[in-house]
Amino acid sequence: MSALRRSASLRVTLAIAAGIVLISLSAMGLQYQLTARALAARQAELLQSDLQAFAATYQQRRIPALRQAIDFRSKTMLPDEAIYLLQDREGVKLAGNIGGWPVGITPEGTGFEATPVLGYDLPLGPGGDRIAYRGIARELPGGFRFLTARAETPREVTLAGLRAVILPVAAGLVALSLLAGWLTSRWVLARIGRINRLADRVAEGDLSARLPGARPDDEFGLLETHVHAMLDRIEALNRATQRLSDLIAHELRTPLNRILQKIRMLEAPGAQKQALEAEIHATTRTFNALLDISSAEAAGGARPGLLPVDLAGLAGELCELYQPLAEDRGMVLVGDLPGPAMVLGERNLIAQVLTNLLDNAMKFCGPGDRITLSLSPEGDRHLMVVEDTGPGLPPEIRAEVTRLFVRAPRDRAVPGHGLGLALVQAIATRHGARLALPETAQGFKIEIAWPKLT
Amino acid sequence: MTQDRPAPRILIVEDDDAAARAAETAARDLGAQPTRVASYAEGLAEASAGDYAVIVFDRMLPGGDGIEAIAQLRATGSTALVLIVSALGRATNKIEGLEKGADDYLAKPFDPDELRARLRALLRRAAMVLSDSDLVAFGDLEIRVKARTVHVGPRHVPVSPKEFELISYFARNAGAVVTRMQLLENVWNLHFDPQTNVVDVHVGRLRRKLEQAAGRAVIHTERGEGYVFDPARSGA
Repeated sequence: MSALRRSASLRVTLAIAAGIVLISLSAMGLQYQLTARALAARQAELLQSDLQAFAATYQQRRIPALRQAIDFRSKTMLPDEAIYLLQDREGVKLAGNIGGWPVGITPEGTGFEATPVLGYDLPLGPGGDRIAYRGIARELPGGFRFLTARAETPREVTLAGLRAVILPVAAGLVALSLLAGWLTSRWVLARIGRINRLADRVAEGDLSARLPGARPDDEFGLLETHVHAMLDRIEALNRATQRLSDLIAHELRTPLNRILQKIRMLEAPGAQKQALEAEIHATTRTFNALLDISSAEAAGGARPGLLPVDLAGLAGELCELYQPLAEDRGMVLVGDLPGPAMVLGERNLIAQVLTNLLDNAMKFCGPGDRITLSLSPEGDRHLMVVEDTGPGLPPEIRAEVTRLFVRAPRDRAVPGHGLGLALVQAIATRHGARLALPETAQGFKIEIAWPKLT
Repeated sequence: MTQDRPAPRILIVEDDDAAARAAETAARDLGAQPTRVASYAEGLAEASAGDYAVIVFDRMLPGGDGIEAIAQLRATGSTALVLIVSALGRATNKIEGLEKGADDYLAKPFDPDELRARLRALLRRAAMVLSDSDLVAFGDLEIRVKARTVHVGPRHVPVSPKEFELISYFARNAGAVVTRMQLLENVWNLHFDPQTNVVDVHVGRLRRKLEQAAGRAVIHTERGEGYVFDPARSGA
């Protein structure tokens, strides 16, 4: 469900569902308003037609005719539908269907005019229930008081019925929209999830990964087709690059090998031949380092080919390899390597990182210097630190020392090709490790934070 | 090696003339009889037909990659040891080759001495009678495999675990030149070349220990080539 909460498609679907619910509820609300207004208008019309009839009667024969008309109506109408009352100036009831003049009502307006129509709330229902009415209370010439009003009850009953329908319908609508939204988002998520899983596999380095099965003839199918076409292209390019580097290797190393075989047959002093051979081997080393850097960079972050490696064990082995050399040169090499420190990596590449760093330390340090190789856990990383008390990095090349062929002018006399730290950087990147060259008061320090194997 | 056995046969599958000739020369130097073919298909056919002790296979051959041939060779029941000699010479290529069943992997360009040392080691392995004997003795120098100890006569020579692996590898190739690269690959499992002479220092230490105990040189330096472990040879 947490994937659902984070998913864009679900958010869109929820928004659409909310839209549907909102529009439907508005429509129902409008319907309700219209109904309420129509009912009110009907009640008002009934009242007005009563008034017009009474006015006409009054016009002809004044109070006796009005009294007769009210009497007639009072026989057919109950007070919970409509009320009628006519009183003389002493407050004696002349005609009507209610007992007496209700408390709190004062006559307003003149004659049988259409306005003002007022709302009254009177306890005239069965058992004294209060009923809402709209009607008029007037004082006619001669002190006669006349009251007629229509109950709001029929309107209220109809509207209450409407409300009772609207609520469950709205609840059902919300539930259905959510269900529809959930189904849609599940369907969309499944389609997008398929493509995302493919992208993950490719990102992990499996360029030949493809989606199985038939592709439907819709936008998602088209997207899958596009992704496949893109992957085909990337794979072809990658193969071409790989083939090119193999071909370059072949075309360069084969003639170098011919030269090397012929050097042995030359009539020349041994020292000269050895110098030539050394030159060829140095060229090959540079060439190897460049290819290693580019292939490590190309494979950056990819998983295939990586196996669990114990950094502590490997660093211990290399410490042991360099220990006697350090001793012979009067340096102290210390390994602080609590293990195991498991990472996912290529043993050979990590060994190359350590070899390059220790080789550098051996090259630049002198008798009395101290070289420390340490490992410590730091959050989700194993922090590997190689530190020495040698001359350190000249500040002008600190920023770019991990770039290809960058060497300090100071070190022209020291053998090397300026690829060591570039290779270290490339291999670190290939393993998703972070490399840092913190400033130190003295000597050289490099930190590589390898992701822990979990 | 006893000389009355027939000369071992070495098949060379290589399309580059210089490399093939270097391999032929190395084979003859070692008293073996080389046969040379120049394509993948010929190589595979010849390898399955003939009785070869060692096959030197190139990788980027007309018709295929020598590494792919190894599985097919093994399927036909061939027990020949395979040395891949290839321009695909990065550590990654070597590890791939060894993982796919090559017995050794040499990158071009190679020193003729290096090739000879590799071939000799393989020929020796091919001829070796497997013995489960715990004791390997060279005169008064005795190596006990299970106890991982070295003695010269009654004297115990204290060696580190790595030095024991080193002397074991030397002992398996006694009398033959062993190169630095072979030591790095077989003793330290490193398939690239450090720029400093770390291996020399280790060999130097072991050599001094053995010399002190034996009173004579046991490991000899072959200038420009490597080392020879030969407790019987006198002089440095």
